[in-house]
Amino acid sequence: MANTQVAKRTKKRNKDNIAYLFVLPFVIVFLIFSVYPVLRTLYLSFTSYRGFGDPVWIWLDNYKRALTDKFFWRAFWNTCKIWGVNIIVQLGLAFLLTIIFSDIKYKMRGLPIFRAIYYLPNLIAATSVAFLFKTLLDWRFGSVNQILVSAGITSTPINWMGDASIAPYVISIIGAWMWFGNSFIVLMAGVQGIPTDYFEAAAIDGAGRWTRFFKITLPLLKPILLYTFITSLIGGLQLFDLPYLMAEGGTLGNPSGCMQTAVMYLFRFGFETGQVGFASAIAYTLFIIILILSVIQFKWLGGKED
Amino acid sequence: MKLKKVVSALLVGTMLLSCVACGNNSSNNADKKDENNDSKTPSTESADNNEGDGDDSADATGDGKLVIWTLAEDLGQFADHYMESHPDVEIETRVIQPADYVTTIQTALNGGATEPDVIVGEPQMLEDMFDAGYFEDLDQAPYNAQDYADQIVDYVWEVGQDADGHQRAISYQITPAGFYYRRDIAETVFGTSDPEEVGKLFKDYATILDTAQKVKAAGPYRLFASDSELGFFSGQAPWVVDNTLNVDQVRYDYMDLVVELYQQDLTAYAAQWATPWYQAMSGPVPLLTAETQWGNDDLNVWDATQFASATEGMDTVEVMAYGLPAWGVLTLRDNVGDTSGKWGVCSGPAPGFSGGTYIGISSLSERKDTAWDFVKFCTLDEETADWWIVQSEGDTVSLKSALEKHADDGNETYGGQKLYEFWMNAAEDIDYSIVTRYDKAIGDAWGNAISSVKNGEKTKEDAINAFYDEVASVYPELTINRE
Repeated sequence: MANTQVAKRTKKRNKDNIAYLFVLPFVIVFLIFSVYPVLRTLYLSFTSYRGFGDPVWIWLDNYKRALTDKFFWRAFWNTCKIWGVNIIVQLGLAFLLTIIFSDIKYKMRGLPIFRAIYYLPNLIAATSVAFLFKTLLDWRFGSVNQILVSAGITSTPINWMGDASIAPYVISIIGAWMWFGNSFIVLMAGVQGIPTDYFEAAAIDGAGRWTRFFKITLPLLKPILLYTFITSLIGGLQLFDLPYLMAEGGTLGNPSGCMQTAVMYLFRFGFETGQVGFASAIAYTLFIIILILSVIQFKWLGGKED
Repeated sequence: MKLKKVVSALLVGTMLLSCVACGNNSSNNADKKDENNDSKTPSTESADNNEGDGDDSADATGDGKLVIWTLAEDLGQFADHYMESHPDVEIETRVIQPADYVTTIQTALNGGATEPDVIVGEPQMLEDMFDAGYFEDLDQAPYNAQDYADQIVDYVWEVGQDADGHQRAISYQITPAGFYYRRDIAETVFGTSDPEEVGKLFKDYATILDTAQKVKAAGPYRLFASDSELGFFSGQAPWVVDNTLNVDQVRYDYMDLVVELYQQDLTAYAAQWATPWYQAMSGPVPLLTAETQWGNDDLNVWDATQFASATEGMDTVEVMAYGLPAWGVLTLRDNVGDTSGKWGVCSGPAPGFSGGTYIGISSLSERKDTAWDFVKFCTLDEETADWWIVQSEGDTVSLKSALEKHADDGNETYGGQKLYEFWMNAAEDIDYSIVTRYDKAIGDAWGNAISSVKNGEKTKEDAINAFYDEVASVYPELTINRE
């Protein structure tokens, strides 16, 4: 009897072990391509490694340098500016569409088609988007300026990408155009998860559209909003492709470095001046900043969640 | 349950197989090495036959294929030519964009890759690459490169040496800079087209400004296509001396000159390497001004069709001179059109040089003998030099004997001027010690400073302070004495 139980236990344990074999390929790939680079970057961030020779341990010097470098903070501020305007426009647009499509009075039809159309810009490669908008916004030959001038809205062409006071916000708007469809889908899914009984009951009690939105929709969307904000923050602070492709001077983000984001700054040191150790420290500094901001967002938006 | 067992067995089997395959690869290589020791591959034999100094380290992989990673497409032509005379050697040439080249080499060689066999570098890349030990020491046996030192132009030989004076790379070309000018315009404006006399018009920055004003006043002409033409003569001292940023007076004078050229409309505002810049080599181009060219990139000068339609009906000017290294001969060759025969080349305000592809052997290569044979073929073989001069229609080789042999060759594009003799003399004055590993980033920052002054975006003082800030940010290890 006892032997049978031991045999069963052994067999059960064997069955469990087999599961490890199934996850092993993923774990191996994950360890090699994710965990190792992350740990290696952490190690390099404490060294003066320049891509050649052996890394020399310099403790926190790279971090001190990053935190006291005004160009790092300029790049970080540029990133915040671009992301800040982007998230306002992106979520504003997504919310507006969510309100329209979820309103029980409007009863909009064709939601799947609109959802697909709004999501389409998200599927276009950033390089194509950059090329498209560079052509449209060209100072002399771009369609946008030609329309604005011929319609009399402006007398002279606007130098969209050459004016430091405009260019970063152009990137924000393009980003919002690319990603609002994604936010819309997420928000819409959240709204559809709210039982319609709540809205009907509120309507019977005399609650208007805005009251229903602020008292029912918004509070119940909080977890979804939290998710959208945090993922947007993480993606936004790692912004690289659009400004890199659209700005003059590549990673310099010209004019006057107004479009140089934190990751472009990192890339410049890591791949253009060969300061791999410093670039690693920038990566971790950025990671810590994103982590702190995410926690603040989480506390602010999700603090009362049970 | 059975299915689970089968699937897991398959997964484990696949993993084991890949592990075994990995291990097998190295043992295969080892086997091949052993085989090679017994019977040399054709390419090794070829190297031995050619040089007589081959040893058993050659072509240890046994596939007979020499792998070249280059940033200049020229080497592909050299490789094809090499294979014509060495039919038993197969060469694979991979051309990598200059911006990605160093990173690609770093990744491969830091990872212990035995390919590529032949690697290259441009002067500003070499110091780091030498320090990292990527290039084989060519002074050691069996290469004994020092025996060939007197065959190559001095400065080229020096560029290929590491900090300890060991030869690591050799270039097949020399790249001294000069001014390419239109003889007909020089004759019209200054009454002379003689290179010696025209050279006096470029003897220093003050004279160049005066020359530019005279050319503009003389008719629909501009001295330069762009204000970048002086870039190869922009400094006579290294950017960094004893770990301290060194901005000598010539740099400030250069900044003043560029600002004057720009603000007085003394150039054709044809941005270097843009459509009108090339067009100006063959005749008149639309007359742009600082205003129409504001910000440099507003007018789409990169698209010939758009540029033509946007500038239709505008007044035109002809450009008199371009500042370019010796390889500019190839640029003009393809663009002078009907102005062929009307050109000349003269000296600039100071010796300058730029670029050049330096070839060496990867220290991890397993085909070092074949690689050395190829390096010698490209750089030290007079027949190859003769072939390249014809093939490239005028590139300037670094092999002294070939240069001397062709010293009397006249180039018809330049009215029969003896360019090889000219470049050979120009190369004698080059001072390579002004090149540092910091040049690219500091040069870019200085260029930004000059642009912001000439555009009126910043005062000279603000621009120079911003330049100091940028250099301090990129290279905090440098001492900066703000003036």
